Amino acid sequence: MLEIRGIAKTFNPGTLNEVRALQGVDLTIQEGSFVVVIGTNGSGKSTLLNAVAGTFLVDTGAIRLAGTDVTRWPEHRRATLIGRVFQNPFSGTAPHMSIAENLSLAARRGRRRGLGWSLPRIFTDQLGEHVRRLSMGLEGRLDNAIGSLSGGQRQALTLLMATWLKPQLLLLDEHTAALDPKSADQVIRLSEEIVSRDRLTTLMVTHSMQQATSLGDRLIMMHRGRVLHDLQGSEKRRLRVDDLLARFEEVRRGELLDETAADMLKQTYV
Amino acid sequence: MTLLIGAWTIGLILSLLALGVFISFRIFDFPDITTEGSITLGATIAATLLVVGVSPAWATVAGFCGGAVAGATTGILHTKFKIHGLLSGILVMTALYSINLRIMGKSNVPLLSEVTLATRAEQLAASLLGGAANFNVFGWEVGVRDGAMFVFSLLFIALVGVLLYAFFRTNLGTAMRAAGDNAQMIKALGANVDHMIIGGLALANGLVALAGALLAQYQGFADVQMGIGMVVWGLASVIIGEALIGSPSLGLTIVGAVMGSILFRLLVAIALRAGLDPNDLKLITATFVFLALILPNLLASLKSNNARVTNA
Repeated sequence: MLEIRGIAKTFNPGTLNEVRALQGVDLTIQEGSFVVVIGTNGSGKSTLLNAVAGTFLVDTGAIRLAGTDVTRWPEHRRATLIGRVFQNPFSGTAPHMSIAENLSLAARRGRRRGLGWSLPRIFTDQLGEHVRRLSMGLEGRLDNAIGSLSGGQRQALTLLMATWLKPQLLLLDEHTAALDPKSADQVIRLSEEIVSRDRLTTLMVTHSMQQATSLGDRLIMMHRGRVLHDLQGSEKRRLRVDDLLARFEEVRRGELLDETAADMLKQTYV
Repeated sequence: MTLLIGAWTIGLILSLLALGVFISFRIFDFPDITTEGSITLGATIAATLLVVGVSPAWATVAGFCGGAVAGATTGILHTKFKIHGLLSGILVMTALYSINLRIMGKSNVPLLSEVTLATRAEQLAASLLGGAANFNVFGWEVGVRDGAMFVFSLLFIALVGVLLYAFFRTNLGTAMRAAGDNAQMIKALGANVDHMIIGGLALANGLVALAGALLAQYQGFADVQMGIGMVVWGLASVIIGEALIGSPSLGLTIVGAVMGSILFRLLVAIALRAGLDPNDLKLITATFVFLALILPNLLASLKSNNARVTNA
């Protein structure tokens, strides 16, 4: 279970480039829940994921994961509880190392790394089976460097790596945004399969309205560093792409209203 | 022949330097100038300990440890205090100059009558050969001292190479390589990248200092100036090794770095024999590394230009 209490983050405070990326987010995600996060550009959805992953420490608020307060934990320590897939297919794998070696690194996520062999026989034997299940045709290429693979193949592997040891929380950060439609489809199907098989608590950011409506059991819409809508249960199940677009339109009009209201106030008072 | 054997031996000893540079430059992509100080540190520690009567093996181990501490210091400056990598190395290298002078108490220490690994190897070989001063290799007369040191260096470097290869195939070693390859990824898999860099630089500089310790015992002295230009020297060896091997596989790259070091030393010995002014050596080495660094890009752009011309 993930509990986020009033977290806020301002980048470059006190400068011209000040960005108030998160402005008090509260969110509780039950164990086994699959939450989809959408929002306009700059709404803070990726920042929310990064705050949970520990890419930076939040200014205020608290983050509890699996009953532990992780607010002050550095990124690598949180990785003992969290599996991650990044937007950029290059981020999640080591390009000059083999598929097998990359997976062996994932098999020790958050564990002590000592002087045991990274690729003992017993491990390489299970590898083929796991990689075959990705149906990316990689089971015969375990010794190839990851750098030779396509973006879709890399994301599928990163997904396998993030979930090799069952994480308390899986973070998917627009992990299909950089892929061609066919690979994106494959990776989404895999994500769904793995999440439901292992009943993983998942937080997924996406740009795709289609993914947002078809995946997950809860949908969060963010705007200006806050949670604007929170749809669960039957409300989420009934949600269609058109409904979402309508909500985005609402946000856009709200924004316009803000500006015209500000103009009006300016004319009257300044 | 003595000249050739000597070049081979120094090439072998300096291949430890090449392996150190390979770890910092290639595995961690960290331009580590500490190398210039730590090779001297290894030599001064070993020589000073030998003079006060410590056994050669322990003196050599102490040299390695000194280098490791120097490397770890650079790593800490870089990761914990957020100092630029190049500057961290420069700071430690500069500090080491004074430290080396402090350790020796003067600018060089000769090892004339001390028992060193070189004299140990010579004694062993002499007793094996039944006391002959020279022996025959494919028709060439080779002095026992030269031959013994050559064989000793060969075995020693082979052992270090195998250990290094094995280390980089362990969980810890694999994580270190990943930290150099994609830091973001290994962080997301729960490894502390700072610790990996500190440990990696400690290992790299330990090997470099080991080269210094062996070199001092082979040459018979330690000198505070002996580290100057050693980073470029090591880099040249690594680049030659990569050209010789042309394979990204870990084991072969290690073999390549050793071969590169030997070949480079042989080339230098031949050039010096042919009348090259030793004072020009560092200029030529730097030019060589410069060319080796820009050539791949230059060739690629020439190729694409040609392709464009033929297409048009």
